[in-house]
Amino acid sequence: MSEVKIEKLCKSYGPVEVLKDIDLTVEDGSFVVLVGPSGCGKSTLLRSIAGLEPVNSGNMTIGGKQVNDLPPAQREIAMVFQSYALYPHMDVYNNMAFGLKFAKTPKAEIDARVNEAARILQLEPLLKRRPRELSGGQRQRVAIGRAIVRKPQVFLFDEPLSNLDAALRINTRVEIAKLHKMLKATIMYVTHDQVEAMTLADKIVVMNNGRVEQAGRPLELYYKPNNLFVAGFIGSPAMNFLPAQVKKGGTLALSDGQELKATLPSSCKTGDSVTLGFRPEHMTLGGTGNFALTGTVDIIERLGESGFAHVRLPSGQTIIAEVRGDPRTSSGQSAKLTFNAENLHIFNAEGRRLG
Amino acid sequence: MADAKAGAGNAIVGMGRGSYAMLLVFFLGPAVVIYTVFSIYPLLATIFNSLYLRQPDGAYIFNGLGNFQTLLTDTTWSAPFWNAFRNNCYFFLIHMLVQNPIGLALAAMLSLPRLRFRATYRTLIFMPTMLSVVIIGFTWQLILSPLWGISKMFLNAFGLGFLFAPWLGQESTALITVSLISVWQFVGIPMILIYTALLAIPEELIDAATVDGLNQFQAFIWVKLPLIFPTIGLVSVLTFVNNFNAFDLIYAMKGALAGPNFSADIMGTLFYRTFFGNQLQLGDLSMGSTIATMMFLIILIGIMCYLFLIQRRMQRYSF
Ligand SMILES: Nc1ncnc2c1ncn2[C@@H]1O[C@H](COP(=O)(O)OP(=O)(O)OP(=O)(O)O)[C@@H](O)[C@H]1O
Ligand SMILES: [Mg+2]
Repeated sequence: MSEVKIEKLCKSYGPVEVLKDIDLTVEDGSFVVLVGPSGCGKSTLLRSIAGLEPVNSGNMTIGGKQVNDLPPAQREIAMVFQSYALYPHMDVYNNMAFGLKFAKTPKAEIDARVNEAARILQLEPLLKRRPRELSGGQRQRVAIGRAIVRKPQVFLFDEPLSNLDAALRINTRVEIAKLHKMLKATIMYVTHDQVEAMTLADKIVVMNNGRVEQAGRPLELYYKPNNLFVAGFIGSPAMNFLPAQVKKGGTLALSDGQELKATLPSSCKTGDSVTLGFRPEHMTLGGTGNFALTGTVDIIERLGESGFAHVRLPSGQTIIAEVRGDPRTSSGQSAKLTFNAENLHIFNAEGRRLG
Repeated sequence: MADAKAGAGNAIVGMGRGSYAMLLVFFLGPAVVIYTVFSIYPLLATIFNSLYLRQPDGAYIFNGLGNFQTLLTDTTWSAPFWNAFRNNCYFFLIHMLVQNPIGLALAAMLSLPRLRFRATYRTLIFMPTMLSVVIIGFTWQLILSPLWGISKMFLNAFGLGFLFAPWLGQESTALITVSLISVWQFVGIPMILIYTALLAIPEELIDAATVDGLNQFQAFIWVKLPLIFPTIGLVSVLTFVNNFNAFDLIYAMKGALAGPNFSADIMGTLFYRTFFGNQLQLGDLSMGSTIATMMFLIILIGIMCYLFLIQRRMQRYSF
């Protein structure tokens, strides 16, 4: 069993608190992706689990064993770094074998493990090459191979694909997904790429400012974001937000006077200020839906199969709506945006989800 | 970039022969002139002079390689020459075995992640390098003086006075003492060069080594050290060239005679006495040039060995 459990983890650099009370469970064999804005502490969390950074307080267990005071090599983790961090002076074989040699693993065992990893990653013809004689994608695979031969309880990946070009990134993403299936490995994975997060993850952990904002299955985060931050972070382009007021009879009044009728969650009280959220892909230009907003089209970004219409409401706020195909509407025209009630997200004044 | 290059290429192609020559003169001229006047001409003149023999009447006649034969076989010349050569080898070895390992160790310590007052140490250790050799020599002469030097009092204060000896004045210790003073003065140079090379090694590489089970010291030996071999090679070559060209510290501390009884005599001081003359010895242009040419050849051979035997096998790493 290689479950990772993190309880009340705190870490600061001097006076700067970087991780605040992190609670997180990574189930055995699951693929957990950490996302969040730059500087929110993703790398720090990963490095703390690896034992590369000392923590201030909290508890970490890997496979039921407390690892707080263990050096990295004894935590049974393997880390894949963003820059790959291959040893430039060793060939591919030795890059993978180095840690095992240091752990005094018998030679035959090392050979077997390295060859097995090389076979899985199709590195066999490259075993005698130095890192600088490899392409970016091949280096990436060696880095993963170096992790595999350790037979760790947990794989830690810190933005492993960010140095690859777009096409290779998609390829490698699929490879990693296959690898996860095959090895039944427990993986923690940091990325900036939403698509990577959504496609790879069993569970996504959204971090902000050193805290976990929400952890859950990808679609759960997409359909039921706990708060404004997660709602705005997951999905691209980001969710539209409009402030509104709850009126008598359960209508929602926007600041420019437009009113929407909705079945409100019971926790909404008349007079409350709320924030409404709706995703661009759930709105249609024209069309029918139980909600409608009208405004002027500022600009339409056409991407081919779809596009994004930036529509300005009378209150001055801009809303982005996805449009299918090639709409005939052009800038300056007025437009009616419609969407369905079930796609409406309502957040209270503190930014927490209602209903 | 590519456009700019192509543009320059086209400009040269479109140029007349005359203006192309002008361009060459403009860019290469200054370097050629300076090198010729201050490096190539003196070198050639030295080699040329070494082929002539000074007659008692002051005239010079062509002597082929005769001077070299005299220098290497006639004991009046060969004894001091081999003495100076041997001393010079010791001088170099002491630098290689003491200065460079200490420089390496200091650099390794300076690059420890949790070190405080890093900049202060760096500056203090590098300070003697920036001081004049004359000042260094004089200061150490005072420190080591058996009459009023503080080293004696210092040892006495710890009850270790019996260890004291007039190190600069004994034949057996003079060379080592001067060498160690030179080591002390210049240890900052290997330190800075190696420190810079260590800084270029990405931290993630050391993190990877840590995850692989190495501690800081092992990571240094197995990961960092192999990656800075090129720099260590460079440091060794610099040490070699500087040591076989050395002159100033010995001259400042021990004078041209490099005493006692030539025990600290190296090629530089031998050359100085021979070429310019000293006390009763008359200056001898041709024998002086012969010694200078030998120094040039020794350094040339050393560098060739390095280039062909060592540097070829060494890889430079980019990260
Ligand atoms: N050695 C350090 N000393 C002080 N502060 C640090 C140090 N390392 C990181 N930080 C701070 O800790 C915070 C979290 O850094 P971290 O590298 O974990 O961010 P991240 O989420 O990985 O960001 P990115 O997505 O850009 O990689 C940042 O605000 C950063 O400034
Ligand atoms: Mg990071």
